[in-house]
Amino acid sequence: MWDGIIIGGGLAGLLAGIRASERGKHILIISEGVGSLTYSSGALDFGDAGQLLNQENHPYALLGETSIRAGMDYFQRLFPDYQGKWGVTQNLLTPLGSPRKASIVPYGQNAESLQDARRIVLMAPDGMKDFFPEIIKTNLERSYPQCVVEVYPFRVGAFESWHAIGKSVTGMEYAKYWQSGPGISELKRVLNCLTMIFDGEVSSKKNETAVLFPGIATAFSDPLKEILSETPFPVIEMTAFPPSASGHNLYCALKQKFKSLGGELLFGTGVQRIELQGKLCDKAIVKSKGRYTAFSARSFILATGGIFGGGIEVTPEAAQETVLGLPLYVPAELTNSEFLGEQPYAHMGIEVDSELRPTGPGNKEVLFENLRVIGRMLAHWDPWTDNCGGGVSLATGWFAGEKL
Amino acid sequence: MSDYQVVIIGGGATGVGILRDLSMRGVSALLLEQGDLAHGTSSRFHGLLHSGARYAVKDPESATECIDENLILKKIAPHCISNTGGWFVQTQDDPPDYVEQWIKACAEAHIPIREISPSEAYRKEPLMSKSVLRVFEVPDATVDGFKIVWANAKSARRYGGQYKTYHQVERLVMEKERVVGVVTKNLLNGEEIMVGCDIVVNAAGAWASLVAGSIDIPLDVICDKGTLLAFNQRLFQRVINRLRPSGDGDIFVPHETITILGTTSQFVDSPQENDPNEEEVKKLLQIGEQVLPNLTKYRVIRAFSGVRPLHREDHDVPGVNVPGINKEEGRNVSRSFVLIDHGVHNGVQGFISIVGGKFTTYRLMAEKVSDWVAEKLGNMTPCRTATEDLLPEIPENLWKKAAQLLPYAPVGKMLERLQEDTESVLGEIQRDPRKGQMLCECEMVSMAEVEKTAADEDTHHLADIRRKTRLGMGTCQGAYCTYRALPLLWKRQEKYDAIEDELRDFLNQRWKGIRPILWGQQLRETELTRAIYASILQVRG
Repeated sequence: MWDGIIIGGGLAGLLAGIRASERGKHILIISEGVGSLTYSSGALDFGDAGQLLNQENHPYALLGETSIRAGMDYFQRLFPDYQGKWGVTQNLLTPLGSPRKASIVPYGQNAESLQDARRIVLMAPDGMKDFFPEIIKTNLERSYPQCVVEVYPFRVGAFESWHAIGKSVTGMEYAKYWQSGPGISELKRVLNCLTMIFDGEVSSKKNETAVLFPGIATAFSDPLKEILSETPFPVIEMTAFPPSASGHNLYCALKQKFKSLGGELLFGTGVQRIELQGKLCDKAIVKSKGRYTAFSARSFILATGGIFGGGIEVTPEAAQETVLGLPLYVPAELTNSEFLGEQPYAHMGIEVDSELRPTGPGNKEVLFENLRVIGRMLAHWDPWTDNCGGGVSLATGWFAGEKL
Repeated sequence: MSDYQVVIIGGGATGVGILRDLSMRGVSALLLEQGDLAHGTSSRFHGLLHSGARYAVKDPESATECIDENLILKKIAPHCISNTGGWFVQTQDDPPDYVEQWIKACAEAHIPIREISPSEAYRKEPLMSKSVLRVFEVPDATVDGFKIVWANAKSARRYGGQYKTYHQVERLVMEKERVVGVVTKNLLNGEEIMVGCDIVVNAAGAWASLVAGSIDIPLDVICDKGTLLAFNQRLFQRVINRLRPSGDGDIFVPHETITILGTTSQFVDSPQENDPNEEEVKKLLQIGEQVLPNLTKYRVIRAFSGVRPLHREDHDVPGVNVPGINKEEGRNVSRSFVLIDHGVHNGVQGFISIVGGKFTTYRLMAEKVSDWVAEKLGNMTPCRTATEDLLPEIPENLWKKAAQLLPYAPVGKMLERLQEDTESVLGEIQRDPRKGQMLCECEMVSMAEVEKTAADEDTHHLADIRRKTRLGMGTCQGAYCTYRALPLLWKRQEKYDAIEDELRDFLNQRWKGIRPILWGQQLRETELTRAIYASILQVRG
């Protein structure tokens, strides 16, 4: 008998698992996939909390400010490599070099120091996939008109055989390399080269230079943090076009943390269904290697990631929650013509009470006493227009882990 | 003094067909198109090269035209056509007495048919419903509308023909009961120019009545909207028709790795009304199920609609009082084409409209128009489009070189699209092997090809690159390739709108076809696309 079973191992599910394990609970996470953090920038958005807390039915409004802030603080306590303050957004750069904001940013991505720079040196690793230095340069010149932007192309010997056959190197591949032994030596060499070039320049110029380094993910790597803290100029990372090393590293760190606290992970297979006992969830039924296995627990958390994660399946006839068949909120009109604008379908999800327990359609009656729903499975929010994907996952994940 | 002997209005299959035909006869001609070539009906259909069997019973004239043209196009444009063959299948829902009538009509139109046993049919098409009653094989085939339009345009250019895209015709210029030119507006820079000519050909399809209307000539063109679905896999190996009087949702057409199911039919007020809607999609799926059970389980990439320009002659007007004819049904209007000499009908010389018809007969329509034009101009050169290959032969060494530089699958497609331009693209890949990578991984379009296409003088928007290369038309519907095309637009930024605008427009166009099919894997794909553009790249709607 487990204290808790969490279905879904993405950001929300893992955070819930970590918090509950830390509180001494015996937790099993059953996850069909690997979450969607690798598709994210690695930075976490909390959105305009003041407004979202007042938006009817929004997960923020259900939990209230104290819980949202607790989720934010808890996450940073767990991972000091992530920094942020309630109510303060930080500047960072998109993969195209445009400025953007986020609330909690991994070590190295904060681009605040560009404000004080007079020159930006954009490192351009040869043959890096989905990286467009000319566009980035122009966008930087537009956003930081006080700066001269110089592109600094360089080539890494380790990828010569890739270059020779015309194969580009993904950002993930570069990031992995920089964390390896040979990569660290090479990085020192590249940065020394830069230091020497800058040393030859008049002091005003060198003191006002910031270096942009795409394809590197410093957070969670002590050697990298050390090297980059020793440079005489700030080195700033860029967020990546998916797949992203920063997002992936966060995912790995979460998993590691969970395991180190004694949590157990079952990967590659989803929960087929839940056996019930009255108003309680009793057993999760998993199919693995052709056999059905039942896992019992006192409490359950549903964190199956909404439409993208596979927790909601939509057919031409209907939308369905895939594990328990929970009732879903489905807006009458699903779409708008402006693709990147408001899309009502994104608000599809499970309606819950202020304890995140699923409620019946059209009433506030709790369906199952020992089940909480978190993250993208919740109704009435859209991470892309509300800019609060990180916030909802962290806050609801923390809350569920706290209450389990 | 005329600039050209002939101005052709409309850059669909018929228009470019006329441009090629006239250019081959040595007539100087300019084609004006308000958007990109093939942006209208010529790319918004099922891509079926009719055998004529579909029209045999109701419209024997069309049926005969179809089978003749079917054979001609297979010969002159094999690279645009896949000779899949087709079946007509009778299900339990189809009227039993129609079969004999249809067999007789096919014989009369000289359309070869052959009955095959249902058991053989199930073996060849395992997804087909096991309850079909009879199956007949016909010489249907599939055709790539984009490719054939571009092949015509390129061939015409080799013969001296010219075309201008994004040029809208503002009005025709008259001089004493005679059209002597057109005023056209460059929609990219707003510039108006006057082009003098001896003859104006109105081949504007669904827009033809607007052109004629500019000099108050009434032209009755019915806009008949047809919606289709593109499935993410090849469900059938051949074209599957229903053996019944033509109706909605009764044709499956396989193209490479996808299948198109069509078509609905609904009169609309303007050619702009080409948004597919959920109701049409549901109807198509419902009817499609009768031939392919559990159809909704298969991933739909998108829905799209085209507007058929049907010509209605007085005796065809479907009236409420005519029994058995549904006023809303475009199928009851003849699918044959009509050539209208406005000198005879309206007393305006030097102006001719070609309306109606269908994609399969575009070449024949072009031939008839060109014959008429040539006669007026005293040009005695005969038409050669029925015998001369549309595509120049691709030299062996080019094939070999391409096969060395690129993965095997995209080689043929690239050669057929680029033709003589292949040389320079291969040169680029040789110089920088990275450009041989697939920028569009779904449709397998190389970076070098997109770069070349982006630089073409007649490419003005990301959507033009899509029509020329198929970029963004595959499974991901632009999630990755839109981003990857940005630096290539950037290099030519003087030609394009601001990158964010190009991106937003392109994504909105893709979205139009996804909205009515928002379920299953394509919905998940949509979430990913929104995550990438709205969140990671922070592009705002």
